[in-house]
Amino acid sequence: MNTAENKRSIMVGVFVLVAIVIFVIGILTLGGQQKRFIESITVNTVFGDVEGLKVGNNVWFSGVKIGTVKQISLHGESQVQVVMSIEESARKFIRENSKARISSESLIGNKIIEIFGGTPAAGPVEDGDVLASEANLNTDDIMKTLQENNKNLATITGNFSEISNRLVRGEGTVGTLLTDSTLAKDFKSMVASLESTSQNAVRASRDLSRFTSKLGTQGSLANELLTDTTVFNKLEQSMAQLEEATQSATKMAQNLEQASGRFNNENNAVGVLLNDQTFANQLQRTMQNLETSSQKFDENMEALQSNILFRGFFRKREKEEQKAAEEAREQQEQQQQEQQPVKEDNQ
Amino acid sequence: MGLKDNKADTGRKRKYLVSRRIDRIFLELYKVYAFHVRFFKEVFVPPYEFKEVIRQCYEVGVRSLPLISLTGFIIGIVFTNQSRPSLAEFGATSWLPSLVSIAIVRALAPLVTAIIAAGRVGSNIGAELGSMRVTEQIDAMEVSATNPFNFLVVTRVLATTFMVPVLAMYTIFVALMGAYLNVSQNELTSFTTYITQVFDAITFLDIFSSIIKTFIFGFTIGMVGSYKGYNSSKGTEGVGKAANSSVVTAMFLVFIEELLALQVINLFRAM
Repeated sequence: MNTAENKRSIMVGVFVLVAIVIFVIGILTLGGQQKRFIESITVNTVFGDVEGLKVGNNVWFSGVKIGTVKQISLHGESQVQVVMSIEESARKFIRENSKARISSESLIGNKIIEIFGGTPAAGPVEDGDVLASEANLNTDDIMKTLQENNKNLATITGNFSEISNRLVRGEGTVGTLLTDSTLAKDFKSMVASLESTSQNAVRASRDLSRFTSKLGTQGSLANELLTDTTVFNKLEQSMAQLEEATQSATKMAQNLEQASGRFNNENNAVGVLLNDQTFANQLQRTMQNLETSSQKFDENMEALQSNILFRGFFRKREKEEQKAAEEAREQQEQQQQEQQPVKEDNQ
Repeated sequence: MGLKDNKADTGRKRKYLVSRRIDRIFLELYKVYAFHVRFFKEVFVPPYEFKEVIRQCYEVGVRSLPLISLTGFIIGIVFTNQSRPSLAEFGATSWLPSLVSIAIVRALAPLVTAIIAAGRVGSNIGAELGSMRVTEQIDAMEVSATNPFNFLVVTRVLATTFMVPVLAMYTIFVALMGAYLNVSQNELTSFTTYITQVFDAITFLDIFSSIIKTFIFGFTIGMVGSYKGYNSSKGTEGVGKAANSSVVTAMFLVFIEELLALQVINLFRAM
């Protein structure tokens, strides 16, 4: 073999060797990644629906990959038996009463089997054991719910669209409010009024605050009313008396009512006086007669005074009256004189 | 030959089984079949031309490595870069290593290697054997009691069959490195994370199916090149035709085989 051939052979050998090394490293990395070359146990579970789970999909326990799906086969009545290859090192963490469910690596990721639960009281799972399965919420179910939500959303947006259209057209109170310039002006003035009102309210509340602060002043009526129990008792008594008075007044009013009721009847003197027209006419005539009589009597009396028989009596009475008047005047003057020296002393 | 004799005997116009063109296709198919049968016979029959196999391996493998490496590296970068916008729409650029590794290992690397090999090696074999046929070197070898088929065809087919998978390994490695270069620049992904994601996405089936495919591709490239060159027509034009036909036919067959292989692999994947 000449040198050129030798060199060529070595080159080919190196070329192939490097390729083999790449291949072997790739295989070992892949094997390490997929944990193909480690000791494992087989665990079974039965699902009603595996939702597209495939052989080779991962098996997770507490979010950690512990194995892969080894075999999927139909089982019993429309059930699916799944055989999982699980690392021996993870066996002690999985309990016999642990459960398995179909899950997903991410929102749109591969399907996985998730092992969860289990109590420490139950022993670790053994090779060939069957784990209980739990039905998971199906994507279709989620989609159905989402579809319902979408319909509701469409209805809501439709309603909003209708509302906005009506607003644009100026229909309804809010639409009018948005489009009518007069209303806007009114609204503006209303807001201004409101502002003024609120300012007044602020002022009023300030006054009220000041007033209420005064109410708490010691010795004031309100404070006494609120704090002094004696006043309150007196007030209560007054109220009771007032109530009693009211009751008496009510009673009196009732009596008055009864009496006034009787005034309408003619079976009594007042009733006859008030209601009988004939009696009234007679009374009027009587009164007229009385007036005439009194005039005539007056005349008679005057005549009597002039009479010589009675003149002395009237003169005597007149003198007594004058005397009494003079005595009264003298007494008054005497009192005035007594009071005058006292005033001068004071000055 | 029988038909020729028939014409000579009767003196009438040449008779065809169906038509001239269809008969020629069947004849060609038979020749291909006979060529394959002869190959499988010769490959196990001594003398074994190891030196020539090594020389061909050097020509096919080592000499093609720079071209394959460069192409693979560029493919890795370009494919990653072109895939990014689609994944970015879903905010899933972190899945680039997975996507790229699956694409490279399953399809890109074997196909690119096969196409480059068909272009470089297939045409070389076709032209080489074609010129040997034209210059009657093959005839001379037959006269000198050397088995030209064993020396020329078997060695070349063996070399392509074994070197194309090796080249594909290099292509996978280099393309993944190219993809890493792009991913690390844009996503700031560490090499460890990248490798973890790459090997998390691919399976043994992906790797082994690719290797088996490249064996088939290599065999096809070698056989097509050898057949076209070995059976080239006389004249310099025949050499060019042989080289051109080698490349076109080899590429076409590689794609057909890729399609068929995909169906078979999917069967295994579903199991």
